[in-house]
Amino acid sequence: MIRVEDVYKRYQTDHGPGKWVLQGVSFVIPPKVSVGLIGGNGAGKSTLLRLIGGIDQPSRGRIERRCRVSWPMGFGGGLQGSLTGRQNAKFVCRIHGHEEDIAEKIHSIETFAELGDAFDEPIKTYSSGMRSRLQFGLSLAFEFDVYISDEATSTGDAAFRKKASTAFKQLIDSASIIMAAHSESTLKEFCTAGIWLHKGTAQWFDNVQDALSAYKASLPKR
Amino acid sequence: MTKHYSYQNPRGHWAIAFMVWKALFLREAVTRISRKRAAWAWLLFDPVIHVVFMIVMFTAIRMREVGGMDMQAWLIFGLMAFSMFSQSSNQCKNAISANTALFTYRQVKPVDTVLVRAALEGLLVIVITLILVGGSLLFGTDIIPEDPLRCLAGFFGLWLMGLGYGLITSVAINMIPESGKVLDMITAPLYMVSGVIFPLGQIPPPYQDWLLYNPLAHGVETVRAGVSGFYHHFPNLDLAYLYQCALFAVFLGLALHRRFEAKLIAQ
Repeated sequence: MIRVEDVYKRYQTDHGPGKWVLQGVSFVIPPKVSVGLIGGNGAGKSTLLRLIGGIDQPSRGRIERRCRVSWPMGFGGGLQGSLTGRQNAKFVCRIHGHEEDIAEKIHSIETFAELGDAFDEPIKTYSSGMRSRLQFGLSLAFEFDVYISDEATSTGDAAFRKKASTAFKQLIDSASIIMAAHSESTLKEFCTAGIWLHKGTAQWFDNVQDALSAYKASLPKR
Repeated sequence: MTKHYSYQNPRGHWAIAFMVWKALFLREAVTRISRKRAAWAWLLFDPVIHVVFMIVMFTAIRMREVGGMDMQAWLIFGLMAFSMFSQSSNQCKNAISANTALFTYRQVKPVDTVLVRAALEGLLVIVITLILVGGSLLFGTDIIPEDPLRCLAGFFGLWLMGLGYGLITSVAINMIPESGKVLDMITAPLYMVSGVIFPLGQIPPPYQDWLLYNPLAHGVETVRAGVSGFYHHFPNLDLAYLYQCALFAVFLGLALHRRFEAKLIAQ
């Protein structure tokens, strides 16, 4: 279970404190419920995911994580460009305490990511799709109760997205996902519930379809 | 205060920290050795060329001995002792900005990257010193320390000072980027005033006392005193002073890291 209580967040800019990105966001994500974050660009989706993932602290309010939460996948975070995919994978295995079965883990990451020879090339030569394949492979190699994806699926091709979705359906009894995505089909494929971020506040919907409708209704009509 | 950790990892805090340090250490070592073309060779060549250049200069001005100690030993240990401080503090300075991508993983803290870099640099300087001593032996100059423990005490003190200074500057540079330039200006003359390439013992009294406020000078001179029992180090040599300064710097650095951890990660 993840409890977000009255969370406010703003960033420090070069000219003093910036505008509030999140203003009084509260919700509870029950165990084993996959949630899609919906909102326009700059609505605070990535910020909220970083806060839930524990990388950043809220300016006010509190976040409670009563489960194992993955790091947020997406946009090459957590990968060092000068090192190869394999070296990065080894690092992640080590910091998660898998020193003994490292060979096994690396193998499972390698087969999931399907990068071929590129697995031994530096990350900086990767395309964004290849990065997200690796990131998905990395986080699926470890047991988490909640996986966080920040647009990690959007750059992958159709085959990869299908694979990721099947992998998640196999986990569905034990794990869930919190994801930000713009693609409606992706959200429907992975998530049951939805959170609509609008003007710094968050609204919970038990059905992701309702959240999408609310988001669309808020868009200016022409 | 915001309470963040409600889920307790069964691995335990120290176990996690050790795993992170080990992983970071291996990763830093790989990048340090294979980053550029033949980076491992430059790691060795850089100090060797420096030392050889200085030895040639001293030979040219016909200085065979400094303060009753063989000139080669005086230079090699002086330079390596000082690089114990300068190398580790320099690498630590940029540890955080070089590893920002890794703070995506909650268990990796900014302070871990600094500690690991200092450890790696200290190890490298020790290895290079041993190679230089071995090299001198091959050329027929015996510079094996007479009191190795005293040598190590000096080296360790300088390393600790480098770590402390690195911890402080790593935070300062990330919080106030301009501070990097100011700190560079302060550290640039340290090489000259620490008695690395000229003996502080030969400086006349009022000025010598001023230079002895620099804790690094005490470390460099202690290492030399450990190499040769006949070495005339400057008066009032005080290794404890170096350790006091170093421990204070480490404490201040760790405190700064603890205070600004969230901001360092958030960038």
